[in-house]
Amino acid sequence: MVFSSFIFLFMFLPVVLALYYITPRRFRNLTLLIVDLVFYSWGEPMLVLLMLVSILINYFAAILIGINREKKALSRTIFVTAIVLNLGLLGFFKYAGFIGETLNFVMPFLNIPIIKVSLPIGISFYTFQTMSYTIDVYRNTVKVQKNIIAFGTYVSLFPQLIAGPIVRYSDVAEQLVNRRESLQQFTEGVRIFLVGLSKKVLLANQMGVLWDSVRRSGESAGALGAWVGIIAYTFQIYFDFSGYSDMAIGLGKMFGFEFMKNFDYPYISKSITEFWRRWHISLGTWFREYVYIPLGGNRKGLGRQIINMSVVWFLTGLWHGASWNFILWGVYFGIILIIEKSFLLKLLKKAPAFVGHIYSLLLIVLGWVLFYFEDMAEMAEFIGRLFGSSGFMMSGSIVPTVISYIPLLIAAALVSTPLFTFIYHKIKSKPVICVIDNAGCVLALLLCVSALASSAYNPFLYFKF
Amino acid sequence: MKIRNFFKYLPTFVFCGFIFTFMLLWIIIPKEHYSPQEKRVLADFPELTAETLFNGSFQKELDTYLSDHMPARNFFVGLNADYELISGRNGSKGVYLGSDDFLLPKPAQGGENLIKNAGYIKEFAEDIDIPVYMTVLPSSGYINSDKLPWNHDEYKDAELIEGVKNALGSKVKYFDSVSLFEEKASSRQLYYRTDHHWTSAGAYECYCGLGSAMGYAPVAEDRFNKETIDGFYGTSYSKSALWFVPPDNIELWKCIDQSSDAVSVEIADGDDKKSGKSYFFREQLENDDKYPVFLDGNHSLVRIKNKDAKGGKIVVIKDSYAHTLVPFLSLNYSEIIMVDLRYYKKEVSALAESENADAVLVLYSLSNLSEDTNLSYLF
Repeated sequence: MVFSSFIFLFMFLPVVLALYYITPRRFRNLTLLIVDLVFYSWGEPMLVLLMLVSILINYFAAILIGINREKKALSRTIFVTAIVLNLGLLGFFKYAGFIGETLNFVMPFLNIPIIKVSLPIGISFYTFQTMSYTIDVYRNTVKVQKNIIAFGTYVSLFPQLIAGPIVRYSDVAEQLVNRRESLQQFTEGVRIFLVGLSKKVLLANQMGVLWDSVRRSGESAGALGAWVGIIAYTFQIYFDFSGYSDMAIGLGKMFGFEFMKNFDYPYISKSITEFWRRWHISLGTWFREYVYIPLGGNRKGLGRQIINMSVVWFLTGLWHGASWNFILWGVYFGIILIIEKSFLLKLLKKAPAFVGHIYSLLLIVLGWVLFYFEDMAEMAEFIGRLFGSSGFMMSGSIVPTVISYIPLLIAAALVSTPLFTFIYHKIKSKPVICVIDNAGCVLALLLCVSALASSAYNPFLYFKF
Repeated sequence: MKIRNFFKYLPTFVFCGFIFTFMLLWIIIPKEHYSPQEKRVLADFPELTAETLFNGSFQKELDTYLSDHMPARNFFVGLNADYELISGRNGSKGVYLGSDDFLLPKPAQGGENLIKNAGYIKEFAEDIDIPVYMTVLPSSGYINSDKLPWNHDEYKDAELIEGVKNALGSKVKYFDSVSLFEEKASSRQLYYRTDHHWTSAGAYECYCGLGSAMGYAPVAEDRFNKETIDGFYGTSYSKSALWFVPPDNIELWKCIDQSSDAVSVEIADGDDKKSGKSYFFREQLENDDKYPVFLDGNHSLVRIKNKDAKGGKIVVIKDSYAHTLVPFLSLNYSEIIMVDLRYYKKEVSALAESENADAVLVLYSLSNLSEDTNLSYLF
């Protein structure tokens, strides 16, 4: 079930809110767990079992680690087994086909049969969440959760189940058993949820339409059209992803949870290092916490640091999808970050701010080319087009399309900056905020619902077909 | 709760009020079976069984069901259309809002299918021993280009129709309706404001022009009694969802010299048969889309007889634009057999020969000729 659908907004959510708030406090996790499973099985009726298996593995592994903490070797064995099982499930369901195809390509004589499994929704997210718990229990930084309902609720919590943020167990351990929902928090949740919904429905989806039109127009887009297209995609992916995170954070608040911020205006960064502190923060935190620092981070000399960074960025790329372009994308940023770390960052700090902004945006936008095209030939063709392989100017029907999207492109650019948040905080204490708040809420609801209604409106010219 | 706090937390009540009210409305409002705007049957409530639940088809169909039966659906669709219009995307639903409340469908793109269809017509004409006439009608947006919004796709109608003409070969006698319409556009309204079709006046101009090509004497305009019917909301209107656009008029032109029992119309859709005594099917005027008043809209085969007419028998291969033209042609031909290839799936060449037709007229709008994939049924 996706948040930007009628079934979620007008059936699931009201029913779940009503159920949750009429449930006595001590059974609220149980209510949440049940609705989480309904939410997940709505789209994946069978694969919900996989998530349950994942919950059980980590639940029992953590208990066993806790019991055998004194026996170092045994607890280590249990821990390693749990991690292998977690990564094994993720590896099988997400990467089996990819690994098979790659091996067949490198060594055709192997002729490995390719297993076609459909990717279970959210597996990358919930596997990382459960691993954060097991790792932290092993490191003895969090207490073992003996209550399987509380633990199950943590893993399957529907707001962040499908697309993050990746909530570390240690961040919500306290909230899971001891949270106080409040009207104040609920209202903040509504606001953030509607901001996220608007980002997704009113900006991301529309930018997607523009990007599709540019790709379909092929050579007639020229370099100018190609740049407009990839900028539209740059906006699409940001508003899609951050919109989804906002909706998750907002929904979390409605149920009394506080999740970490996942995006912090990444496109205003002055370096790529800064970009990755602002983009998908929960993933970056996870890799830093559970891969980079355990590998030694920057404490073992520059050589080792470069290796560690390479590992992290290879994995970051791979995490995004089972295809070489994602690895390429990860490695691309890995290399830029290593260069920045060695000398460029110092130069950028001395240069005027606009240099840093232009440098960062250019590399970010080019990065999305690598991210988008899974087919390397198409990627190469598109990169060629960006640099003028089919001329500079746009021609044909793409011209009026691009012109008609200029207002939205400007809106998208403005919403990518903290401008509106800044204005909002300026007027927060003034009485007028009440009007703005509620008018904004109504407007967002009406516009989002109308956009969703419109996408399902299909007049037929001839009704007898 | 203090009044100050109530206002502070009002978004919560607005949001919850909205989603709960909507849910209730969804459940209690009576469900329509058919959407007149979209001219389609709406989804039924999906079948709930263990099988449909586990393979996910129930979930998917429930989504369609909810979208189809959404409360205040037209209001929301209209709101979205208005929002897209004011945020710069005139034409995002495939129809431009032009000046003078004209709704103009986006241009046809032409492409391979258009030339392929021209090729079928060429072969058809070479295949039979009956003279074949043809005209391709330009679009409303091309003829009313002065009414288009400043930012619009290019209408290449003249160029595309020229391409069709060149692909038809020498056997097809082509009539150039583009030049005729370009000339007449300034003096009268040839297309509806809220529909992609031509008006009765537009069809009449074409009827007069075709007369010289096909060899009949058109009835003069002053021999017609024109009845104006208002409240016409055409297909472009439904597509655009710009509900504020005022309704259109539709004109029924009746020849005053014709006796009242001269005309008979027989409609056949396979085994389904229906007949009438007039070119106009007035029950269609009850609907928002009144265009099917002309010969009852699209049917597979329609036979129109006129005892008063002097001329012989012709076959018209057509799209819906012909429904306005054929009543005029019928004043000159005693029998017209109108065939719609989207529904008529037999050989038209065999039909024309067995009926001993004197001529065949192929009449298509450019957009339909570009998109239609049924012209292989000609022979």
